[in-house]
Amino acid sequence: MAAIDIPEVIKFVDATPPFSSLTHAQQKQLLAGVELTYARQGEILNLKNERATLHLIRRGACEIRSSQGALVDKLADGDCFGVASVLEQNPEGLQVVVLEDSLIYRFQKEGFQTLLQESEDFAVFFAHTRSSRLRKLSRAQATDLATPALQLSTPITQIMSQTLITAGVTSTVQAAAKQMTEARVSSIMVIEHNQLVGIVTDRDLRSRVLAVGASPDLPLAEVMTSAPATMDPTGLVMHAQILMSENNIHHLPIVESDLTPVGMVTAADLLRHQELSPLLLINQINRQQDVESLQKVCSQLTTLIVNLILTDMKTTDIGSVIAAITDSLTRRLIELGFERFGRPPFAFSFIVFGSQARKDQSLGSDQDNGMLLSKTPNEQEAAYFASLAQYICEGLDQCGIRRCPGEIMASNPKWRLPEADWQSSFTDWVESSSPSALLNASIFFDIRCVYGDDACVQRVIAGMQSRVMKTSLFLATLTRTATVAKPPLGFFRNFLLESSGEHKHHLDLKHQGLALINDLARIYGLGCRHYKVSTKERLEQAAREKLIGLDVARNLMEAWDELNELRLQAQRKHWQKTGEPSAYLDPSELSSLERKHLKQTFAMIADGQAAALQRFSGGYA
Amino acid sequence: MLVNRMVRAFDTWQARRSEQSRSWQESTYFVLDMETTGLDPKQHQVISLGWVLIERGVIQLDTAQHLLLDSAQIDDSSVGIHMITDTDVLEQGRRHASVLRYLRQIMKDKVLVVHYSPLELGFLKMLWQTQPMPDLAIDWVDTMQIERRRCERAQTVIQEGGYRLGACRDRYGLPDYPSHDALTDALATAELLLAQIAHYSRQEPSLQDLKKLGGGHIRLSSKTIA
Repeated sequence: MAAIDIPEVIKFVDATPPFSSLTHAQQKQLLAGVELTYARQGEILNLKNERATLHLIRRGACEIRSSQGALVDKLADGDCFGVASVLEQNPEGLQVVVLEDSLIYRFQKEGFQTLLQESEDFAVFFAHTRSSRLRKLSRAQATDLATPALQLSTPITQIMSQTLITAGVTSTVQAAAKQMTEARVSSIMVIEHNQLVGIVTDRDLRSRVLAVGASPDLPLAEVMTSAPATMDPTGLVMHAQILMSENNIHHLPIVESDLTPVGMVTAADLLRHQELSPLLLINQINRQQDVESLQKVCSQLTTLIVNLILTDMKTTDIGSVIAAITDSLTRRLIELGFERFGRPPFAFSFIVFGSQARKDQSLGSDQDNGMLLSKTPNEQEAAYFASLAQYICEGLDQCGIRRCPGEIMASNPKWRLPEADWQSSFTDWVESSSPSALLNASIFFDIRCVYGDDACVQRVIAGMQSRVMKTSLFLATLTRTATVAKPPLGFFRNFLLESSGEHKHHLDLKHQGLALINDLARIYGLGCRHYKVSTKERLEQAAREKLIGLDVARNLMEAWDELNELRLQAQRKHWQKTGEPSAYLDPSELSSLERKHLKQTFAMIADGQAAALQRFSGGYA
Repeated sequence: MLVNRMVRAFDTWQARRSEQSRSWQESTYFVLDMETTGLDPKQHQVISLGWVLIERGVIQLDTAQHLLLDSAQIDDSSVGIHMITDTDVLEQGRRHASVLRYLRQIMKDKVLVVHYSPLELGFLKMLWQTQPMPDLAIDWVDTMQIERRRCERAQTVIQEGGYRLGACRDRYGLPDYPSHDALTDALATAELLLAQIAHYSRQEPSLQDLKKLGGGHIRLSSKTIA
């Protein structure tokens, strides 16, 4: 048959990777015999026999699901499927389900197979897609099987709170409310002769007292729910769940057979037990009264992050979760500090730098922070801020956010400054343009306010930016300094040569990869009119302001995602093995394909560095 | 003699009837779009033809063809719309008569699909008048009529211009094709038909169902020339 000659088809294929890397002759070869089909939402696509071939979504959305129905991947315009059915007759029995009505190109199997042999890039792309889907499949299956059954058969005594908040039937409503507030609980057990006779909850106080204008001096007996639903301590989580949902209640007292109370289970406890969720962790952080209990709560942080990595959360989302938790922890410590040292003599902002500011912390990131004071303190005021900062930074350290080895912390008087002094520090850094000064200061250019008035932090940022604009040499020096470190492209050659010998190389994903992209993004970010702090936002903004080519920006963002995912996975594995996170990757654990892909990723960084040198430094390294 | 002819006619009628009640996928569809110098078949001419086939329910992209007709007089306004120039016509234009014979050959035994039949059928009739040719009797389906019926049934209010090809495609979330040559529009019409059929009802429609929604049968003939 004739070669495909429809401009809209050719245009689409030519703009879609990996087809875009093919020559026009190869594209024509692949397009020979291509069919266009329309699939209706909810349809399960047949990938057998002559339909076991490469498919490309022109418009629409599909899902790949395992034979048990677990979600493996989501696909949209420009995504391919059916590769497994061509290469290996789909041994996993993957299914493709149409999510939205879709227009789908169906290629001829023979043409596709020929191209896989002809073009290495093309083959690498599909093999990579295939292996990453297999990885996702194994994770989907693992999480499918593991948890729910185990959790439901946990004894209720393991998750109930054993601190008993009780009051007698003659206590007044007001006294009970005060008791509940102090203990930070939402219910109180009413007892008589050491036996449970009723329960009063937050909601009861609202609906039976406040809403009807009843007196706060009423005895509890008048407003309580008498003979509430209870459970004995031998019960299981599952039983508690059933009881609570049947009775539509959120509080379940646990009592012995003679009605002696032994504990309380709330819906929140059940939820917390079911899933360690970021939101609940933040809630818990906000409820703790001292550093010791905060430390206990934060000990769950690593498990939480490992779970998030396992559930395949996007790396940027994991970064924002960790940032949200660290921010809450910081703010809670500041509040606890006020309770201990009294209110501050005047306003201040607590600012963070580096990875916490960029929201790309991972397991084991350390703290970088400082204080911006609204005035110059006198001796006494300075002493107050010194103790407060000391308390916060030590608290963070105890909760697992380790001290900064370079002492960039609010506890260091050098980084506890009034606004004007921050301004002049930035001026010094920008104007000195000495490479070593810049290298040490670069972390300060990633800055975010987590407590206090953001406006003065924004003023410092604006001042820093206008100084950058005026100092033409600055970005050039920063670029030259930042591009001294190169991505380890040669590493792969060495690795291939020496993998069997005794020199086993390890790759430092953070310093040899991610940090290089962060540095580039910072340079572009500082060149932008609008200040952004996270690496991907900076690259997006730079592309919007046309400082960087869209393709270079996209490649860098993709490389950043890729390396971050690898780093998180490496950290998770290492943590599960040894209890210590590590950003080092043992390349022997990668398949040759993954190595090839990693090499391409590093090549993208090298391209990005070349582009930055061209842009900011006239091409001089 | 007469009986024989009647029997044959009955057989043909019955064969056609049974063919029409089978699933729509069993017929082959010839999806056509024409670029013309204007909107009146009596005054204006066809500049180019674009088509693509639907076989076994899927669009066979490598059946797509785009032909220019050499007899057309091109005025400036249609050049503006379609971006076809005299040079294109010279380079790609085929001899009128052979193009029509080729067209008839391909259309034979297929179901014609167009968007807005009054115009497209009018121009086809006109083409058959320009040249002595054997008759061609053919079933046709109009995606605009199908859309109109569907919207009336669903009691959707459609604004003016809402039945244009692009607007119809929008309602099914089909991609926006910026170019408007005959070939792209033929492909766009074919995709629209597949979308309409996918939304037809729980079961697959037969050809007859499609024709009932918006279609018919037409005989193209050159007889009146003589």
